[in-house]
Amino acid sequence: MKRLVAVTACAVLLTACATNTTSSSKTSESAPGTGGTKIGFIFVGPKDDYGYNQAAYEGSQAVAKAYPDLEVLTAENVPEDDNAARVMEGMVRKGAKIIFATSYGHRDPALKVAAANPDVVVLQQGNIVDGPMPPNFGTYFGTVYEPVYLAGIVAGKATRSNKLGYVYAFPISQTLDNINAFQLGAASVNPAAKTYVVNTSNWCDPAKQAEAAKSLLSQGVDVISQHQDCTATVIRATEAAGAYTVGYHADASPLAPKGWLTGSEWDWGPLYTKMIQTVVAGQFTGSPYNANFRVGLKTGDNPFVQSPYGPTVDGATKKLVDDAKARISKDGSPFLGPVVDQAGTVRVPAGTVPDYKTIESIDYFVGGVVGKIPAS
Amino acid sequence: MTGAAVGAAEVRPQTVDNRQRSWPRWAAAVLAAPLIFGAFAAVKGVDPVAMYADMLASLADPAQAQTVLVRAAILLLAGLAVAVPARAGLLNVGGEGQIVIGAVAAAGVGLVTDQRLPGGLALVLMVVAAMAAGAAWAGIAAGLRLTANVNEAISTLLLNFVAIDIMLGLIYDPWKDAAGFGQPSSRPLEETARLPLFVTGGTLNAGILLALLALAGVWFATRRTAWGFRLRVVGGNPEAARRAGMRVGPLLLSAMLVGGALAGLAGLVHFAGTEFKLRPGMTTSFGYVGFLASWLALHRPLRVGLAALLLAAIAMGGDSLQIDSGLPAASLNVLMAVVLLVVLGTRRHPGRKS
Amino acid sequence: MIFVDVLAGGVRGGTAILYAALGETLAERAGVINLGTEGSMLTGALAAYAVTAGTGDPWAGVLAGACAGALLAAVHAFTVLSRGANQLATGLVVLFLGAGLTSMFGAAYVGRAISPFQPYPIPGLSRIPWAGPILFDHDPLVYASYLLAPALWWLLFRSRWGLVVRSAGERPAVLATYGHSPLLVRYLAVVGGGLLAGIGGAHLSTAYANAWFENMTAGRGFIAVALVIFAAWHPLRAVGGAYLFGAALALSPALQARGYGFNQFALDALPYLVTIAALIVLGRRQTGAAPEDLSRVFQLTPTR
Repeated sequence: MKRLVAVTACAVLLTACATNTTSSSKTSESAPGTGGTKIGFIFVGPKDDYGYNQAAYEGSQAVAKAYPDLEVLTAENVPEDDNAARVMEGMVRKGAKIIFATSYGHRDPALKVAAANPDVVVLQQGNIVDGPMPPNFGTYFGTVYEPVYLAGIVAGKATRSNKLGYVYAFPISQTLDNINAFQLGAASVNPAAKTYVVNTSNWCDPAKQAEAAKSLLSQGVDVISQHQDCTATVIRATEAAGAYTVGYHADASPLAPKGWLTGSEWDWGPLYTKMIQTVVAGQFTGSPYNANFRVGLKTGDNPFVQSPYGPTVDGATKKLVDDAKARISKDGSPFLGPVVDQAGTVRVPAGTVPDYKTIESIDYFVGGVVGKIPAS
Repeated sequence: MTGAAVGAAEVRPQTVDNRQRSWPRWAAAVLAAPLIFGAFAAVKGVDPVAMYADMLASLADPAQAQTVLVRAAILLLAGLAVAVPARAGLLNVGGEGQIVIGAVAAAGVGLVTDQRLPGGLALVLMVVAAMAAGAAWAGIAAGLRLTANVNEAISTLLLNFVAIDIMLGLIYDPWKDAAGFGQPSSRPLEETARLPLFVTGGTLNAGILLALLALAGVWFATRRTAWGFRLRVVGGNPEAARRAGMRVGPLLLSAMLVGGALAGLAGLVHFAGTEFKLRPGMTTSFGYVGFLASWLALHRPLRVGLAALLLAAIAMGGDSLQIDSGLPAASLNVLMAVVLLVVLGTRRHPGRKS
Repeated sequence: MIFVDVLAGGVRGGTAILYAALGETLAERAGVINLGTEGSMLTGALAAYAVTAGTGDPWAGVLAGACAGALLAAVHAFTVLSRGANQLATGLVVLFLGAGLTSMFGAAYVGRAISPFQPYPIPGLSRIPWAGPILFDHDPLVYASYLLAPALWWLLFRSRWGLVVRSAGERPAVLATYGHSPLLVRYLAVVGGGLLAGIGGAHLSTAYANAWFENMTAGRGFIAVALVIFAAWHPLRAVGGAYLFGAALALSPALQARGYGFNQFALDALPYLVTIAALIVLGRRQTGAAPEDLSRVFQLTPTR
């Protein structure tokens, strides 16, 4: 359950470009984040969940490799309340000058720690600061639904039954964005494709996932993707049934040597390293990272990237994906209007790109998704 | 050893007072547990001495100490919620669910009243609602025990899962915070209706006073009132109690209701003292740890207080297990379980007349 | 046919619960309740997964799972039988221990690939309409459970050995006068119960879900314990109960895959509510069938 909010850590972007006027970047020995011997990372869930938290953990290990003289401190299962502030304070006491708070719900305690320790830079993953940004604070995230849209294109071309399946846990906005992007991507190349959704009410209950996959497969679904913390069960069940797999969180192609199409996976290392570079150089305040920093296809550096293709994906499909990439890089979003919900109501008018707050607060399925948002 | 005596004896009811002279063994047991856990840590390649030193050092920080007290208040209430029914021989494993339902009721009343009524009044209403809801949730299990003979350990356990589904159903739809970026949580409680803090900017809230008040009340009620006496008689031997003309059913029901109300109060303290909004995973196993606290304390109210403090400190020290010793977070469960097993297993064997 | 799908899912998903419930039936028949069944399932699931990953042989995994489940149950047996601790409380603590140890030592196996049990449709039988897909298109552990339930019934109610076990639960003193040790019998029953729960966990990790993740049993062990009670400590009735819960779990995905939407939280609570309802309906009748010495645990939980 604790992981629930973690995985909801969504791209919330109000301003695409960082507008920061606090101070011009100047290097000084007292710049926040400099002179530390350690870097702290806190995770809301277990660091071996093969999902969101493991991805962040692996990012922290990439940092450890890039900065061998800095010790990386990690703490898993850190709840999103005052406990988080306490754990971060503990890391500061141990000599950490840079802290990564990697869950959406860690923002408020992270702000508190930043206010109490002006010499420490606190970076928060996935949330947003609505007012003025403190000089030693920043949020960052990627646009997770973009690679999911691209994977939807591959799924739409691969399906023969025109039935795609999606296993998910809870109807949080990030999940709804992913499912909608998947369906929109599929429908963009195959208007007959529909996405059947099954929820498990749990971020990781492998037995329930096995049943969810079986149910979808028995209804003729031949491509399955998912938004779960642990992904192996659904992938193995799909592969065993001879259907196609679209991955999430990590490259799991070894689990589905025949049916793997593509997927989306995290790669935090490069972004973490770049941010730390800026901080240790004493140039954090006033930098783009001292803001609500967001990246996607349009800006580059998205920490959520497309997984390698499987053996069955042909050149024509790859070309379609490349075209879509170019389109999104220009338009800025896979949710370029018109976007129509299940009832046929136009939610995003033609030609409009919704802002990130709208995308983040989404509470509907687009047309072509078969299923109901459970709480409605 | 004679198997018959042993086999029959472990289910023979014992009166609570048999445990009075047990405290030296109790203390020895509590001290033995760190040795066993130290062995586990050593297996994982961690120096136990340095580990415990780091744990203790991490508790010396004032902010850390405040948090220990905040947690201890909730664990104390959750522990008393187990201890009171246990005096009457009932096993309340539903603390977790009763805490969740208490928090849900507090949130429900809070959402309606916190912007319309003076904060203090809203808070009082929330306290009443949380306790009533916790009692009602425990009352289901007590009612099932008395009418359909459903064992309360099983029913309270199963109701925990249902309680969490109720909360999730509410925060994913009707109570979802419209300004919460689509997150599944309720709107934060207005500051005026929150439990007051002792130190501005600190974390220690008035919940600790509520918990100590409840402790005093439970101590008095179980030790000094006719009700407390009857509970003990029922818990010791319901058949004898029945023959003595006591109404066993209502007594059992009352014990369970009081337990549920205490757990509901724990839910309120957590909600209005620390969380301020309902969110998935907000209770972080308080109910189960409270259960352990009560058994650690042999259901004696004052000792439940000590056990709650100890378990809260272990939980806080658990951060240090991770940061300083690099052990996984689950090590904490192992540490607590070892403490409890040693305590449970060190109790004087009633069937062995040595 | 949704009906066939849900029942087939009920058998698949109910099998782990069935193993645990049969094990718990054995233990409770001897007079000991073990709420740590959930913990035995967890340790069984991890041990089976780890050994399958190491050896490539799921049968070796099942053996390891059975041993791990038995080992944890032995902790329960020792604390309860030799140290005289409360059965219900000890069971919960044992569960805590199992959950903690498996997440501590299981991390390395999250995401490790194994070669799991494969479904083996029984030639001929699996082609029978309805009954075929429901009963005869599963993995070997499911078929083994078809044999285990009647075997346990025979052992408990038709063999001399079963008489000894049941006497340990009903009249330990009488048993002792015939020269048997009730203590030893209870030890064996509790450990044997944990062994079966361990196999149940092994079914989850190496045959059904084909993955290990901390806390993957998600309350199925508790359901198994509840099931034993409303099955009136009878192995064959436990079969029906286990499949009923399997079906309750399979209902939600079967409906959704067909495009029917219901409140997911109501569906999620369904198996627990069904269990409680079954206890209410059957409770009054069934507790009369409880092993006499065990019923003292139920009637009155000693506070020591």
